[in-house]
Amino acid sequence: MEQDMASSIRIERAAAAWLARRDAGGWATRDQAELDQWLDASTAHRVAWLRLQAAWHESGRLKALGAGLPAGQVPAPGRWATPSQQEHSADPPVRMAKPWPIHGTSSGAVRRSALDPAALVFAPRKREPEPRLPRRLAAVATVAVVGISLAVGWRVHSPTVQPVAYGTAVGTLETAALADGSEATLSSDSRIVVALSRRERHIDLERGEAFFHAAKDPKRPFVVAAGGHQAIAVGTRFAVRRDADGMRVVVTEGLVRLESDPGVDGRPQPTTLLPAGSVALAGPHGVVVQSGTVDEARQALSWRDGFLAFRDTSLAAAAAEFNRYNARKIVIADPSVGALRIGGSFRWSNAEAFVRLLEQGFPVRAEYGDRAIVLHDR
Amino acid sequence: MNDSLDDWFAREILVHEGALVSFLHRAWPDRAEIHDLRQEAYVRVYEAARKCRPTTPRAFLFTTARHLITDRLRRGRVVSIEPVGDLDALNVLIDEVSPERRLDAHQTLHRLAAAFDRLPPRCREVMWLRRVEELPQKEVAARLGISEKTVEKQVAKGVRLMAGYFYGNGQVRRATRPGVPETEDGTGHGQQHPD
Repeated sequence: MEQDMASSIRIERAAAAWLARRDAGGWATRDQAELDQWLDASTAHRVAWLRLQAAWHESGRLKALGAGLPAGQVPAPGRWATPSQQEHSADPPVRMAKPWPIHGTSSGAVRRSALDPAALVFAPRKREPEPRLPRRLAAVATVAVVGISLAVGWRVHSPTVQPVAYGTAVGTLETAALADGSEATLSSDSRIVVALSRRERHIDLERGEAFFHAAKDPKRPFVVAAGGHQAIAVGTRFAVRRDADGMRVVVTEGLVRLESDPGVDGRPQPTTLLPAGSVALAGPHGVVVQSGTVDEARQALSWRDGFLAFRDTSLAAAAAEFNRYNARKIVIADPSVGALRIGGSFRWSNAEAFVRLLEQGFPVRAEYGDRAIVLHDR
Repeated sequence: MNDSLDDWFAREILVHEGALVSFLHRAWPDRAEIHDLRQEAYVRVYEAARKCRPTTPRAFLFTTARHLITDRLRRGRVVSIEPVGDLDALNVLIDEVSPERRLDAHQTLHRLAAAFDRLPPRCREVMWLRRVEELPQKEVAARLGISEKTVEKQVAKGVRLMAGYFYGNGQVRRATRPGVPETEDGTGHGQQHPD
C-alpha cells in the first residue's frame, strides 16, 4: 500500500519509472526538463536516481555474457557460474602398486634404465582416498617391472604405423575421435600427430593445446609428447599444452606420469606423478606442480567451453592467451599495462569485450584496429 | 555540471552499500526504516560532497551513518532500544567492513550475473533482451508478445532489483573479525557535519 511505504521506497520507484520511461524511446526535451525538475526538487530524488542509473549502466556489462550466444534466447539462470560441469571423476585413481607398462620409444628405454627410486617424485595428492603402499615398496615394484619389461621387450619393435595429423585454425576448437576410442579436443591453432601402434599410443603435440580423454588400455600407454617431455597415461582425462620452452599438463581425472628427456648435462630428469587436480609446468629447469582440486584444474581447461579463466594473472600473460585464439591480437604498448594483475573468466572469442571490461576497471586505454587492439597506459 | 560529483558518488559511495546496509541493520532495530536511513545517509553524503569531497569516502559514509543514527535517537523517534545503547560499538562495526570492496572486472561481472539470475523470470527475460541483446523496448515487447507499457514496467522493476542485488545484497556482510582496527580514520571527517 502506497501510504505505508517508506518515502524512500516511493522515491526509488519514481526514479525507476523515470529511468524506464527514458529508456522506452521518444524521449523529448520536455521530458528531460521534467526529469530535471524532479531531480532538482530534492537530493533524495537525485541520489535515488544516481543509484539506479549506476546500476543500469553496470547492467550493460552483462553484454559480455551474451557474446557468442544465439540471439533471442535467454539462457537459464546459473549458466555462467560454472563453465564446465560435465566431467565426473568417477574412476578411482590408478594405484601405485600397479606399475606402468613399458612403451617402446628408444629414448624412453634409455631414460627408464636410468630411473632410480630417488628420482621418483610424488606430486602431493589431495584427494587420495585409498591407503598408499609405502613409497619405497612402490618404487621398487616399479623398477622391478621396468627391468623385466626391458629384458622381454628390448628387441620387439613396434610395427610401423601410419601417423594421422589433426589440426585447428586460429579461433576454432575441434574434437577428434581416435581409432582406439580415445578423444582429443584441440584448442585453437593446435596440431597433433597420432600414431597408434600395438604397444603404444603416441601423440606428438606439435603446436598449441589439446585435451585428451584416453580410452582405458593398460597394454598400450597413451603418450603425449611435446618439446622433450612426455605425459603418459593409461586411461584418464588430461590436457597438454605446448609452451615456448616447455609443456603444461592439467589432469582432471586419474593419474598421469610426466617424464622429461635428460637435461642438458645428460642427467636423467625425475619422473613426476600427477594425480587429478594437478597443473604441472615442465620446463628446461624441471617441473613445477600445483596441486589443487579437480575443479581448480578444470578452470585451466575452460577454453573447451569457450572461456579463458585467469586468477591473479598478469595482463601480458592473459593477452598472450587471448592471442592464441584470435587473429586480431591484443598488443600491449606499455609495460605497466602488461604488469597489471587480473582475474576472471572471459569468452575467448570476444577479445574486444574483454578489453572493454579492462578499460572500465583498470587504467587502460585501448586503440581498436582491425588487426590488433593496442593497450596503453591511461 | 556536477557529472563528476555524480560519478564520484557511484564509484566511491554506492559500492559500499552492502556494508552500509548491514551496518544499519545492526545499529537500528526497525528494519522497515533501513531503506529510509540508507537514503538519508546518501543524501547527507552527497550534499556534503557537493561542498567538499571527503578524502576517505568510505569512512565518511559510515561516520555519516553513525551521526544519522545519533540524531534520530536524539530526536526521540526511537525510545531506548538496546542495540543502539552503545554507540561506541558502532566504531567496531565499521571495522568489519571489508576494505577490499573494489571489484575487479570479473567479480563485477560475476555479481552482475548473480544479481541478474535472481530477477523474476519475466523481468529477467526483458532485461536480457534489453541490456544484453540491446533490443529497444518496443522490439522487446514485440518479441515477447506483451505491451510496451508492460516492458517499461519490467525495466523499472528490473533496474530497482538489480540495484538492490548488485549494490546491496550478497556481499561480505559478516566478516567475522571484529576488533581489527580501522586504518582509515573517519573521525576527522565526522566533524564536518553533513547537514
